Amino acid sequence: MSERRRLERLAERDAAIPVELYGLKRGTVSVLTACCVLFAVFTLIPLVWVIINSTKTQANIFESFGFWFASPFEFFHTFANLFRDIDGDGTYSRWFLNTVLYSAVGGGGATVLAALGGYGFARFKFTGSRLFFGTVIAGLLVPITLVAVPLYLVYAKVHLINSIWGMILPSMVSPIGLYLMRTYVQLSIPSELTDAARIDGASEIRIFFKIALPLMVPGLMTVLLLSVVGTWNNYILPLIIFSNNTLYPATVGMGLWSQHATTSGDANLYPLLVLGGLVTIIPMIALFALLQRYWRSGLLLGSVAN
Amino acid sequence: MSAISLENLTKVYATGVTALDRLNLEVGEGEFVVLVGPSGCGKTTALRMVAGLETITSGTVRFGDQVVNGVSPRQRDVAMVFQNYALYPHLTVAENIGFALTNKKVPKEERERRVSEAATALGLSSMLNRKPAQLSGGQRQRVAMGRAIVREPSVFLMDEPLSNLDAKLRVQMRSEILRVHQTIGAATLYVTHDQVEAMTMGDRVAVLHDGVVMQYAAPRELYNRPANLFVAGFIGSPEMNLHEASVSEAELVLGSQRLPLGPAGTVLAPYRGRKVIVGVRPEDLELGRATEKPAGTATLTADVRVVEVLGSESHAFFSIDAPAAGQGVLAAAVGEAEGDLPAASAHNGVARLDPRAGVRSGQRVTFGVDPARLHFFDPDTGGAIR
Repeated sequence: MSERRRLERLAERDAAIPVELYGLKRGTVSVLTACCVLFAVFTLIPLVWVIINSTKTQANIFESFGFWFASPFEFFHTFANLFRDIDGDGTYSRWFLNTVLYSAVGGGGATVLAALGGYGFARFKFTGSRLFFGTVIAGLLVPITLVAVPLYLVYAKVHLINSIWGMILPSMVSPIGLYLMRTYVQLSIPSELTDAARIDGASEIRIFFKIALPLMVPGLMTVLLLSVVGTWNNYILPLIIFSNNTLYPATVGMGLWSQHATTSGDANLYPLLVLGGLVTIIPMIALFALLQRYWRSGLLLGSVAN
Repeated sequence: MSAISLENLTKVYATGVTALDRLNLEVGEGEFVVLVGPSGCGKTTALRMVAGLETITSGTVRFGDQVVNGVSPRQRDVAMVFQNYALYPHLTVAENIGFALTNKKVPKEERERRVSEAATALGLSSMLNRKPAQLSGGQRQRVAMGRAIVREPSVFLMDEPLSNLDAKLRVQMRSEILRVHQTIGAATLYVTHDQVEAMTMGDRVAVLHDGVVMQYAAPRELYNRPANLFVAGFIGSPEMNLHEASVSEAELVLGSQRLPLGPAGTVLAPYRGRKVIVGVRPEDLELGRATEKPAGTATLTADVRVVEVLGSESHAFFSIDAPAAGQGVLAAAVGEAEGDLPAASAHNGVARLDPRAGVRSGQRVTFGVDPARLHFFDPDTGGAIR
């Protein structure tokens, strides 16, 4: 009887940890889980701080305990101020909408180009395809800070300084997106499918739109997420190319506020900065939550063979 | 005029591998031709070249009297069934079947009528709105067939369409495919590695080995008059017994045994004093005939090692003291089709017997052999001696 109870208890314990992690020992799994929890806490602390402090006055931000609320509750007041023109520098709402525009057009464009390019590289053999692909991938290795000065000089020549296209065009190029889509097409769209469609008399354009594209959606969601987030958070590029405040995205605009806040010490800018930061990241958190199942499957591409 | 003709069709890949070497093949109007061979023999490559999915290194593909080498697959008017069916997973059964018609801009009403006809013919009417993922293997196979027949094509290509089905379903679909073929009457090129499919389905069968056609004939002809050692070993299950022997006067010396050849021996006249390879089908070894011994029957004594009873028949694996011929070569070539060759050391021949004969392992038996049923091959060229 006791033997049976012992087995039952073991079974219960096993059921409590449903994930078997590559056959690792239970102790190892616990340690790894603890590490993950710590990392999650570490990552979430700034977010918690921002949420709490978005409700405070400037004085309270500096004087009260950072991880607890302090009265007065200023959230709605600050929120209303956020969308007003504070000191003629331009408005947060303008910057926020700029960010939405750049991310939507840039990220959307990057997704479209990655879909076309990835499918092309995966499905068609043509002279120099490997060279082209290699060159694009090599672009991944060049940090933007390295090309900042030459980029500025080139932009000045082609009149892209202070133009929204100066921001959008580079955002539409996503080497990692191209790489992901090529791999995705190779792995998840059997060539027999495109062969069958050819034999069924479909043109290449029709095969792409009618057969391949619907099957590429999960991969494209990953690329969309990557490139939208990339553009949304981009700071260096708009900093270099925009001198006109009205064109700033939220990142650069708030950078400007931050400068003013430290130099003038006035204007009650800190609560706006904190809340502005919060409002800026909420759409990204929502987007991640919405698309995370695609995101996860997309990240596994190429590493796990089905 | 042939519906499909392949002339000196050759495929050399960029890696330098020759997949197909001067293939010549004619498929008549309404004919069902099977390309059979072990994996890697070039049969699928040939089919894909006919479909236009593979570039042609040299040679010609003709449909009727029109050379189609440069014609794109979408303009060739061929229908093809793929090994893995290649159904469009995001489209319904009806959309899958009707896809080719949509591409041709066939009016909606006619399209629906033809899709429903094809679906009825294949017993798919009740699942037209399902997605491929909701179908069983056999049903998917039917959808793939439906997609092909709805087009009423002039040329029908099938690439191992039954290899993903279980044995029972395979037998059922075999007759179904033949029925469909008889209904639409299009010239059909069917690729398989399964010699049973080849024998049961083909009007004619081309046996391919290393990119070369070994023999192109009706199934009965392939079985009864194999042109060479490869065909002899490939067609037939259990496979033909092949042994080294030498020819003396009117007798065949097989190990320590001598078989009188009678009139059958005349073809061997040029081989007197030389080695030949002698082949005998497992069913041509008959128990009991030895005692009756009608005129001209030779006998062969063998030690039975293993008996496999299959119900309707039993296979007696035996050994004789003559070396088995080229079994290594054949086993390598036929490896896929006859995956589980019993250990060659224990026995070197097999007889197909009536299970009621009660032959047991360890027994010494004497088979009667009609010399007219023996096959002879040149050991150097592998060609049949006739």
